[in-house]
Amino acid sequence: MSTKSRTLLFLTISVIASLVLASCGPSSTPTPNAAPSEPQGNALPEPDTNKSITIVIAEDPPSFNPMVADTGYDALVMELVMLGMTDVDPDGNVFPELAAELPTSDNGGVVLDEEAGTMSVTWKMREDVNWQDGIPVTADDVIFTWNAISDPTNGSWIPGSDYIDSVEKVDEHSFTVNYRSIYPGYLTQFGGEQLVIWPAHFCDLEQGFVAWDCGRQPLSDGPFTLTEWVEGDHMTFSKNEKYYMTRKPELDQVIVRIVPDDTVRKTMMMNGDADIDMWINVNTINELKDNASAKVSFSPTERWVMRLFMNEAAKGTIDPAATPHPILSDVHVRQAIRMAVDVDTINNQIFYGLAHPVWTEFARPPYACELARPAFDPEAARTLLEDAGWIDTDGDGVRECHGCENAEEGYKMEMEFITYAEYGEPLELTQQLIAEMLGSIGMKLNISVVEGSVLWDLAENGGIEQSGNFDIDLWDDGYAGVDPTDYIWEAYSKEAMTPGNGWNFFRWDNAAVDALIDETYTLDEQTRKDTFCAIADFINEEVPEIHLFTVPNADAYSARLEGVRSTANDLVTWNIADWQTK
Amino acid sequence: MLSVSPLAPPARAGVWLVRLSVLATYILRRLIETIGLLFLLSIILFALVNIAPGGPLSAFGGKRIRPEKIEILKRQFGLDQPLPAQYIYWLTGNDWTQVDTDGDGTKDMPGTRKGILRGDFGFSYRTREPVLQEIGLRLPNTITLMGVTMLIALLIAIPLGIFSAIRQYSLFDFLATGFSFAGQAVPEFWLGLLLILIFYAWLKNPWTGEPLLPPGGMFTIEGGFSLTDRISHLVLPVVTGALGWIAWYSRFLRSSLLEILPQNYLRSARARGLPERRVIYRHALSNALIPIVTLLALDLPYIFTGAVLIETIFAWPGMGRLYYQAAVERDYPLLMAVLIIGAAFIILSNLLADILYAYLDPRVRYE
Repeated sequence: MSTKSRTLLFLTISVIASLVLASCGPSSTPTPNAAPSEPQGNALPEPDTNKSITIVIAEDPPSFNPMVADTGYDALVMELVMLGMTDVDPDGNVFPELAAELPTSDNGGVVLDEEAGTMSVTWKMREDVNWQDGIPVTADDVIFTWNAISDPTNGSWIPGSDYIDSVEKVDEHSFTVNYRSIYPGYLTQFGGEQLVIWPAHFCDLEQGFVAWDCGRQPLSDGPFTLTEWVEGDHMTFSKNEKYYMTRKPELDQVIVRIVPDDTVRKTMMMNGDADIDMWINVNTINELKDNASAKVSFSPTERWVMRLFMNEAAKGTIDPAATPHPILSDVHVRQAIRMAVDVDTINNQIFYGLAHPVWTEFARPPYACELARPAFDPEAARTLLEDAGWIDTDGDGVRECHGCENAEEGYKMEMEFITYAEYGEPLELTQQLIAEMLGSIGMKLNISVVEGSVLWDLAENGGIEQSGNFDIDLWDDGYAGVDPTDYIWEAYSKEAMTPGNGWNFFRWDNAAVDALIDETYTLDEQTRKDTFCAIADFINEEVPEIHLFTVPNADAYSARLEGVRSTANDLVTWNIADWQTK
Repeated sequence: MLSVSPLAPPARAGVWLVRLSVLATYILRRLIETIGLLFLLSIILFALVNIAPGGPLSAFGGKRIRPEKIEILKRQFGLDQPLPAQYIYWLTGNDWTQVDTDGDGTKDMPGTRKGILRGDFGFSYRTREPVLQEIGLRLPNTITLMGVTMLIALLIAIPLGIFSAIRQYSLFDFLATGFSFAGQAVPEFWLGLLLILIFYAWLKNPWTGEPLLPPGGMFTIEGGFSLTDRISHLVLPVVTGALGWIAWYSRFLRSSLLEILPQNYLRSARARGLPERRVIYRHALSNALIPIVTLLALDLPYIFTGAVLIETIFAWPGMGRLYYQAAVERDYPLLMAVLIIGAAFIILSNLLADILYAYLDPRVRYE
């Protein structure tokens, strides 16, 4: 065979192989991951295209169980097919889903044992909710779900699970949760944005809570059922004809399309080919403000507070008493930093004026505290630093220690300033602007951007914050739902300073605050409000963190869609049963 | 496949048998080397993946992960073991030893993993599904996209390279050269978004008013199978991906031909009165294509490993996106599987390139 013939033979084979490969494309038939066909049947009526909507999201949900990977996409689709005992509306009100009513002390649902410091909560469930196969949702499903969660091998951890002593069935549609201490967050413990009740007759306990097949092939008791899942491409949901609410959902079909690029998602919204794009950023909000096809829904409250964390222990150490940070351990320096950051300029120059300045941890109901907004006053900041012994004597624009509290004479006021990469350009610009602002008062900040998984990793893996290996960090944080109790403990208690125990990685040690945190574990709402606001005063005075602003919690929706209400307490699909098309 | 004519004299058959035997020995030796190389690579990759800053626990818990959950996840992921033990379990499984499944400090049950040597790549941390199942769902999509892209690229690049060479310094050559430079310089993410803007957002089908081309995905949801629909979804990602390859292959073929065209054997062919077409296509091109074929073999791994940017922009659920997601989320089992399979493809493609080169060019011998 000649050289030419061999070459042509090879190229011909290549071409034929490519054609064969091209014809092997995926089919649109349901994958093995699709929901069981029996409950839906094969004779579903054709959906009315006007009652079919498309949600575009960046990546596949790992499953329908947000307790496994907590990506947000899992909670988004979970809301379509599963119900919890309760959920939370955009205004922070807890409302019943599977529960017939919210248990309280007044209706006898909550019984406190003041002496023992324990409580028990008895839940009554709706009796008209069925799984999509017609079997009723009962207390057995709740007990099953709890047993699956608390299984030491294949279980998981839910907020407040450490306080639970036992979960006992009372009758088919009621059960009691016995707590070994007072747990204020009991109302959303078996609901909220992450936990739902799973079907005992359908899920396999042997496979375990985090890995069972029903986590990806769910049996619905929600408004829709999963009919098809082509991984990486789309999911199709059909109206659940057995949904307990009459005449709901209004929509016949929901398609969730995976579109990783946010520019393409935005273009699809503007072109009218998508109806929901969740968690849009400020650039997209700004671009959609005058668009006829797409609107923006804003949550009435916002969870994520952008903030500066200042390490009170020397970089690389974790004990602020033994090894105080040479610069940031002085409260006057922290106060000066707060005075020198112009939040309004950041908002207007980077966030199109869409951010909301925030200066306390307790900025939203039901625990909003009245605190005067700290003034932006760089001149006063300079004076404060001079008085604290930080003076620029060599004229290089960077202050040095001359009689300061915890640094050696001549120590330069120069620090590392870190933020995380995943947030994107607006945060990096914010970081640069803050560095400039602090540079103007004689503080030199060397900026760096790292991956979140590096910043927040465990101390044993060299996680920057947990191991105390930072000076100042910038990122957004905030408590989920409406109960800040555990979050406050994790963030501000002395116990949470120890790596692995919590997130007081800025090592703020205040005994009075520790005592106040203990007092928040009560069901007396007025006491809780007063106590949280007392903690807010301490934070305001000692400035372990500087709260800057919240960015809008917003979702884009098409102009033909009605009923969309964004929320910081849940995913946008929290009320999808109420949505309708024009 | 090599074949021997039944009419060939015994001596010729003997030569073929000897050649086949040499080839078989060569392939066997290279395959044995490949196994050793893959083993070494697996150790290096496993170490690098695990030593890299940032771990799966922080990636999973987001900004805050509770210590209670950390302990559970460590046990479920096998991260409670020292790194060498993790590697051995990944390689050989842990069903031959006892593990602590409930976190009470006692090794109470045999493990359930079989290890990659027995075909068990573990489960994805993210989805808790078997890794091979995850890859199996994505691989055909990537093969489709990249296979068609490579085919289109070659169909355009080869004629482009030939005409550029035989009409060196002509207007066509200058245009082709400009196109090649542009093709290599234009970033894929920019080109992809631009094409979406033009063919999806701006240009509409005059009869239906619908966008001229879809912005992404593999097919129209609920549209049923339609070849036209599949092709329309392939157009933009294929054009975006093929541009770089067209530039690369056409430039390579042009310079390869330009080196061959002044050679004496072509001058002799012309002197014997052979038409110019025959000289170019039969004598020059056959030799100029040899390095292209080798290059093609070396590019074959892309057909399996995919292209992250193109798959991301055009919402194509392929291996590139799977790999990127696994890397970002520190999904170690999935990441290791993609890396090892990718490495195997690269090594085997190199082997294929060597074999093909020797097959196509009689001057090269298997030594």
